[in-house]
Amino acid sequence: MRVPRWTAAVAIVVITVLAACSGGGGTSAGHGRTGGTVTMAWVGASPNFIFPLAPATNTNGYNENLTEPLWPALVYDGDGGKTAVNPQESLFSSITYSNGDKKVTIDLKHWNWSDGKPVTSRDFTFVYNLLKANVPNWWLYVPGLFPDGVSSVTTPSADTVVLNLTHSYNPTFYTDDVLSLVQILPQHAWDKTSTSGPVGNDDETTSGAKAVYAFLQKEGGQMSTFTTNPLWKVVDGPWKLASFTSNGAWDYVPNKEYSGPDKPFLARMNNVPYTTDTAELNALRSGSSITVGTLPLNDISQKGILKTEGYTVASVPFPAVANITLNLYNGSVGPVLSQLYIRQVLEDLINRPQIVSKVYNGLADPGNGPISVQAFPSWVSPLENSGGPYPYSPSTATALLKAHGWKVTPNGTTTCQRPGSGASDCGGGITAGQPLSFQLLYSSGTASMDEQEAAIQSSEAQAGVKISLRPEPYNTLAANVGTCTASSHPAATCGWQLVDFGYQPNSLYPAGNGFFNTGGYNNFGGYSNPEMNDLINATEYGSSTSAFFTYEDYAARQLPWLWIPLPANISVYKSNLQGFTPLNPLTGGLNPEVWYYSS
Amino acid sequence: MTAYLVRRIGQSVAVVIGVMILTFVLIHMEPGSAARATLGTHATASRIAIFNSTYGLNEPLDRQFVTYLDQVVHGNLGTSYALQQPVSSLIAQRLPRDFLLLGLSTVLALLIALPLGIYQAVRRNGIGDYVYTGIAFTLYSMPDFFFAILLIAVFSVQLQILPPEAPQATTVAGMLADPRALVLPVVTLALISVASYSRYMRSSAIDTLAQDYIRVTRAKGLPERLVLSRHVLRNSLLPVVTLVGLSFPTIVAGAVIAEAVFNYPGMGLLFYQAATSHDFPVLLGSTLVVGVATVIGSLAADLVYAVLDPRVRYGHA
Repeated sequence: MRVPRWTAAVAIVVITVLAACSGGGGTSAGHGRTGGTVTMAWVGASPNFIFPLAPATNTNGYNENLTEPLWPALVYDGDGGKTAVNPQESLFSSITYSNGDKKVTIDLKHWNWSDGKPVTSRDFTFVYNLLKANVPNWWLYVPGLFPDGVSSVTTPSADTVVLNLTHSYNPTFYTDDVLSLVQILPQHAWDKTSTSGPVGNDDETTSGAKAVYAFLQKEGGQMSTFTTNPLWKVVDGPWKLASFTSNGAWDYVPNKEYSGPDKPFLARMNNVPYTTDTAELNALRSGSSITVGTLPLNDISQKGILKTEGYTVASVPFPAVANITLNLYNGSVGPVLSQLYIRQVLEDLINRPQIVSKVYNGLADPGNGPISVQAFPSWVSPLENSGGPYPYSPSTATALLKAHGWKVTPNGTTTCQRPGSGASDCGGGITAGQPLSFQLLYSSGTASMDEQEAAIQSSEAQAGVKISLRPEPYNTLAANVGTCTASSHPAATCGWQLVDFGYQPNSLYPAGNGFFNTGGYNNFGGYSNPEMNDLINATEYGSSTSAFFTYEDYAARQLPWLWIPLPANISVYKSNLQGFTPLNPLTGGLNPEVWYYSS
Repeated sequence: MTAYLVRRIGQSVAVVIGVMILTFVLIHMEPGSAARATLGTHATASRIAIFNSTYGLNEPLDRQFVTYLDQVVHGNLGTSYALQQPVSSLIAQRLPRDFLLLGLSTVLALLIALPLGIYQAVRRNGIGDYVYTGIAFTLYSMPDFFFAILLIAVFSVQLQILPPEAPQATTVAGMLADPRALVLPVVTLALISVASYSRYMRSSAIDTLAQDYIRVTRAKGLPERLVLSRHVLRNSLLPVVTLVGLSFPTIVAGAVIAEAVFNYPGMGLLFYQAATSHDFPVLLGSTLVVGVATVIGSLAADLVYAVLDPRVRYGHA
């Protein structure tokens, strides 16, 4: 599965309208226009599961695109163009932290389900009970967080939920990254173990919760009944599912009972799958019925033609960070990559500004550090904003290598001349004559990616760092790149040296848990640093606002990954579609309830 | 004939089982983990364990194969790791689409190639022969994706008289209800196949035209139209029948490029995506279907021989 959650979620969104394209902005408030159909094109995959709590084996991020408009999360990500929580759109009316941030009181708004029943705190406990009994078989499960980090849940009233946490969390982190993953589900309609069985309180026992979960997951995978199963007709989001076909097309119609602030203006929203972006581009160019689609960055030159077909072209930064992951436990180059100065050399030699301008036509995040400068401006430290700690500088890289006993051979292969672990030696585990040579695996299939890796290969050669490139399909990369740590680095899955998967998603609170902490679930290269662990913990468990920048700058300097540019996502939409911009990187075009036609 | 049929069917079953064993072993020899390939960056240790347990990948290989065989015998081809749907459902959705698209294109290609081949044989080394040979070779040597995009650029983007996508309906009847959408993909696949069929037909017809019985029919005053249609065509068809029989599995296997360009998810894309994502059940299911199609195609070609050429006596083979 190529598309992780955030990527799927942002596949068609817009934040920055290109200079040449000006139509389509504005707000939907008060325009008085209703009706019409929007057809949205989705490339490469389509949903296959409707129960929002998908099993661990199903990581299809498109499922979230299908279900979020039906059952919104407790915390709504994205406020206008800002990557922030949107209190107005959220189901909660307030979230209060007390008892040293170990107690969370959530007050719910007075929303109704589509069958007229109220959304209550019991619906929250239903979700909690299901997850508690079935963790880790939940695709969004992160060990230690929800529901692990909750010691008890109480419901003082039908509108209030109180979570007692196992320890203190940073409220921003907990709201943004934990509660935003929780979708509230209708206990009064779903708490059953069979199609014909009665609705009860089965979730209140572990065995009952397991049975309910198994039943709902079984039903959730039956694509042929997505629109007919009574379970999925009870929603609290702005849309209802009108149709779903086996080829992955699905349509929404407005949920007339929606209690939230933005009732849909459109009469229908169709979602149409495309096998490839080539097929989608052909459709866009030939005056198809597509209202909203995507445009590969390599085809940005087509924007003039698309304009004549009535489209506006726009771009949005991905809420993610691009990187090259380093295998610190590779048998041959692990000791080399473990040296911070070597990582600095590699970063110094990446000409990121040139890649942004030449490869990505200026439509890319510069890749200055662990936070996307463009997608998360409020979380970017002054250091990252100023270009990061390691601007492109071949001379600095060459000097560093020479200072550590390497014989630098520009456009050849630099070799270690002074092995040893002294301050001016190559470093522990590096042998005399060891070449500065690495294989870089990267995700194939994108021309701009090929160009980026070739640019890196070329610029690294200036200091004699030899990079051999090996493109492979994403899934092949994922299959062969194993997690390597100090305690486990089997040769079969630790043969890789450098890998570029494309990007790693940042969450709403873009901390480094999972990526850079020891044993983190996405820490493939085995980076382990007690100080980094402490700083990450400080961002999650403490409330200090400066802790984040401290962590961010430390990560930027320590280079657990090499930072590289990340291309923006390019979208096209019919110029008479209003309310499309500004959309938010985090909501990913999943708020068509604010769209309307100007004519 | 009955004995021949029984023997051939027995051989076919053995071939299919052999294909299953070979495919199963080869797929599992592929480096890398199916769990990692499917889960991607979500592949934590606990998720990998759940994945392997869910799909029986933590069992010994021989037990996995026995389980798989048992499933197949009971009509269950397993569940796709990536698409999370029964493989039989996926194949049932996509196979009819490929049958329609590739079947129509094969029929169209034959309708063009057979008379063209005979025409070229009759007018051998004439201007018409050279012109059609040139055209056929040009089309044959053209990459199908390029030809498809060329047709889309002209007929969909410039002239806007034909849609750039194949029909999006999920049933064959629904697809046939949108004939305009079938034009470009069918024409693309047909024209790039015309060359091979017409060259075989031309070559075979040249041989047939040199036969004594053709001279006899002409000497007896049979009109040339009847000579060609009754005697040359029928006797020249044998190599083309072989070719068509062997192309049957191709029809079943789909046309990955055409499916990608014309937004037509079929067996080709299904197999390609499964191959790049370690989706073992889909790979095995698709291979099984193509294997069966191959033996059926081969068997059908042999039977058609008997119809076309009475000299073939399978019963005494």
